[in-house]
Amino acid sequence: MQNLPLTRREFVRGAGGLGFLAFSGVAPAFLARSAMAQTPAPERDRSILVIVQLAGGNDGLNTVVPFTDDRYYNLRPTLGLKNNLLELNDDLALHPACQSLHELYGEGKLSIVQNVGYPNPNRSHFRSTEIWETASDSDTFQREGWLGRYFDNDCAGSPETESADTDPAAIHVGDMIPQSYLSQESHSLFGMKPYGKFDRGQDPADLAYEKLLQADHIEGNASYLQHTMMNTLVTERRVEKIISKYKPQTTYPGTKLAQSLKRVAALIHADMETRVYFVSQGGYDTHANQLNNHQRLLTELSTSMSAFQKDLTAHSKDDQVITMTFSEFGRRPAENGSGGTDHGTAAPLFVMGSKVKGGLLGQTPELVTDATKDLKYSTDFRGVYSSVLDKWLEADSSKILGDKYEHVPFV
Amino acid sequence: MNTVSPTPDTFAVKDAWKTLPRGFWDIGTAQHFLRRVGFSATPEAVTSALRSSPGAYIETAFKEGAVLPRSEELKTFTDEAPARYLNMYKKGKDAETKRELRRELQREENELFRSFAMDWFYYVRESENSAREKFVMFLQDIFVVEQQKIKDPPLLYAMQQMLRDGTTLSYPELCKRVSREPAMVRYLDLDKNTANKPNENFARELFELFTLGEGNYTEDDIKEASRAFTGYRVMRRYKYYQSEKLQDETEKTVFGETGKWDGDDVIDLTFKQPAARTFLIRELIKFYLTEEAVDEAYIEALGEQWADNQFSLPYLMKTFFESRLFFHPAYRGNMVKSPVHFYIGLCQDLRLDVAPFQTRVLRGMSTMGQAFYNPPNVRGWLYGEYWINSTTISARRQLVDYLFANLNEKKLNGNEQRALSAARKAGRGNFLVTNERLKQVLSLASDDLAKHFTTYFITAPSRPNYSKSLEEIIGDTSSEGSAKRVRFAIIALLQSPAYNLS
Repeated sequence: MQNLPLTRREFVRGAGGLGFLAFSGVAPAFLARSAMAQTPAPERDRSILVIVQLAGGNDGLNTVVPFTDDRYYNLRPTLGLKNNLLELNDDLALHPACQSLHELYGEGKLSIVQNVGYPNPNRSHFRSTEIWETASDSDTFQREGWLGRYFDNDCAGSPETESADTDPAAIHVGDMIPQSYLSQESHSLFGMKPYGKFDRGQDPADLAYEKLLQADHIEGNASYLQHTMMNTLVTERRVEKIISKYKPQTTYPGTKLAQSLKRVAALIHADMETRVYFVSQGGYDTHANQLNNHQRLLTELSTSMSAFQKDLTAHSKDDQVITMTFSEFGRRPAENGSGGTDHGTAAPLFVMGSKVKGGLLGQTPELVTDATKDLKYSTDFRGVYSSVLDKWLEADSSKILGDKYEHVPFV
Repeated sequence: MNTVSPTPDTFAVKDAWKTLPRGFWDIGTAQHFLRRVGFSATPEAVTSALRSSPGAYIETAFKEGAVLPRSEELKTFTDEAPARYLNMYKKGKDAETKRELRRELQREENELFRSFAMDWFYYVRESENSAREKFVMFLQDIFVVEQQKIKDPPLLYAMQQMLRDGTTLSYPELCKRVSREPAMVRYLDLDKNTANKPNENFARELFELFTLGEGNYTEDDIKEASRAFTGYRVMRRYKYYQSEKLQDETEKTVFGETGKWDGDDVIDLTFKQPAARTFLIRELIKFYLTEEAVDEAYIEALGEQWADNQFSLPYLMKTFFESRLFFHPAYRGNMVKSPVHFYIGLCQDLRLDVAPFQTRVLRGMSTMGQAFYNPPNVRGWLYGEYWINSTTISARRQLVDYLFANLNEKKLNGNEQRALSAARKAGRGNFLVTNERLKQVLSLASDDLAKHFTTYFITAPSRPNYSKSLEEIIGDTSSEGSAKRVRFAIIALLQSPAYNLS
């Protein structure tokens, strides 16, 4: 594989310039050829991580409900859940909306890590999301994300080769690159929309873009930009093709999260070399009318995740994939005056996959009666990350996280 | 058009810094000027600039007294935080109480920093502030301070405001002010520098990154100069003071001259070095004109003139921005826009307000590679081609997509909903391109429309190549679906290589 230049100066000076001149006149053919080019033999047994972000702050106490604890019902006179709970053990149960997740739990394919958080919790959406995505301490600031640092470490020595036939290091669904992906080195990242017909390159917005890319560009920065953009477009075409041809082995709900995961399943099925995927579900900031909203959100989460797992299993890819949720914080144990809950601290998270050990992990949060108090975390989220990095992605978590954290035994 | 870079053979050195003749001040040069000095060249801005001249424009843009409004919250915090910090350190408190007080201060600092960042984006978006703020960004890329290290919003705000005021000073005077600015004193460890235990951080960066450049000083110069920069301290957290007690009063030899120099003396000695005449000019060229090497003869010529004018910044800016070299055709339309330029330029070109969402703006900037007040290191951002890789390019495309998307207000979190209604109240609610806006142009035929868009959005050298393609994308403007096709055409144009250049 040809190493392509990383900066325009290298590009103009090196062989990349010549190579580029050779194809710039016949860009459409180049695009078509690359889109159909054979991808290098994928490593079929590579482990893959799928992250599901629950943006807004998921209410942990109404996700994993301590239904034998009176303090819970005292703190939540109107929001406390009583009926149709899905029991996990004698004291804890899942929200009634989590039917499918509960089944997976029964099959040992879902681990629930309880009371996950970090010291000195920050209750700002922005800042707490940043802390989770950069795996930093509450009072230190980092630009690079924890997965970005993983790419830096894992792919050391092979910085971005903006070549048409390399798969992206990571893919996300949504209109913003997650901070988790930001890195020191440049790695190829790819973002896609959760919906919208991929009509084999017939999307008029993309066609318009492609058309302009094929115009003649003046030498220097313009052609360097053109070159970088074309390579990204080639990846896009390949992804589109995979997705439009994909035949899922289960019916996915029409929700945004389910559709996002369906696309991820398609790419995994196609044996792309990409090892990290990121999808997001918004709306968890339930300050008011939480009962209905949370019911809807968890239904979407549960049905989407289980459809994804079913599909992966039918395609015999389930051994390769784990899916993990996270949210920037849980919510205040005491409900507020508008039928909702305010920003809180620790919360449970889910890890799903055929290879996970299943069961409830970590300690159940200790409730207090003081309505102003928040939960105190018992599992550091970086312990969860370090397990994923060391045990699943076979990386060195201490290098990536800058410290050693106690593993959480879900893999 | 002559796109070969000028050399002394083709373009005489003595003419390079002369004022652009009046007859050349036309739409093409005015667009180049406005996009380089600021972030965009809307037709109104071009018309108004043409009534004036580059020199007069610069004088107006850099007039004294500009202030970024400081929020009430930041004012209060600036007044009260020193006492709160003192109280935190007071004896007799247990460790947990101390930690709790510190955490609360940090939390407030963090929030204030983000709203300061947003305030700055709102401010720089206003065209009358753009040129000056871009120059402040230029200075901030020389006198780097990172929020990662200096987290006090009062200090970061003060440093930026000092640089804003500094645009009317001489460069040596500005360097002296920088050496007394608490954010810098702490960032480069001047407050840890003592006669007995020297800390060379500031002296080294003064020579290497502020005034001379590598190779123009010796390690001994740094050691000796460090002793001159002693006694620089910060009290009550935000206030600079000079401690005579801590000052090293002995003789120092810097650049071969011996005396009982203090910090200001060393800065004066530095500006007697030949390299000080050209260093800033090279930086100016890299930031505003071209990433390619410009013949040294041009740089030295301007350096002489600048030194003859006591290193005045207003003189330098006026001379540079109205010069014939600045307008040379080889330097047009081939600079990569910085992320700030790209975003603010989009807002101005599309007549949009800055979106009132911190995640969208601040994280977006970070993904595009230019987090507010957080350059990668003391060297600052490298600008130019270094902005471009597959991640940043995707982030730029996503930003354009966002500006043309519908806002799903239900999906906003509580903070965002509050920010949205506050922005609407402040008359800043117009931050996405609506369909109504697009319909206004449909009366034009596709060829006129293509021409209109390329002239409007794109710098001259790339225009002809896009018009044809755009025309094809738009098709018949009176036929069904034309509004959609126009939308696709504009989005594609704003994502194109040429729109990423200025």
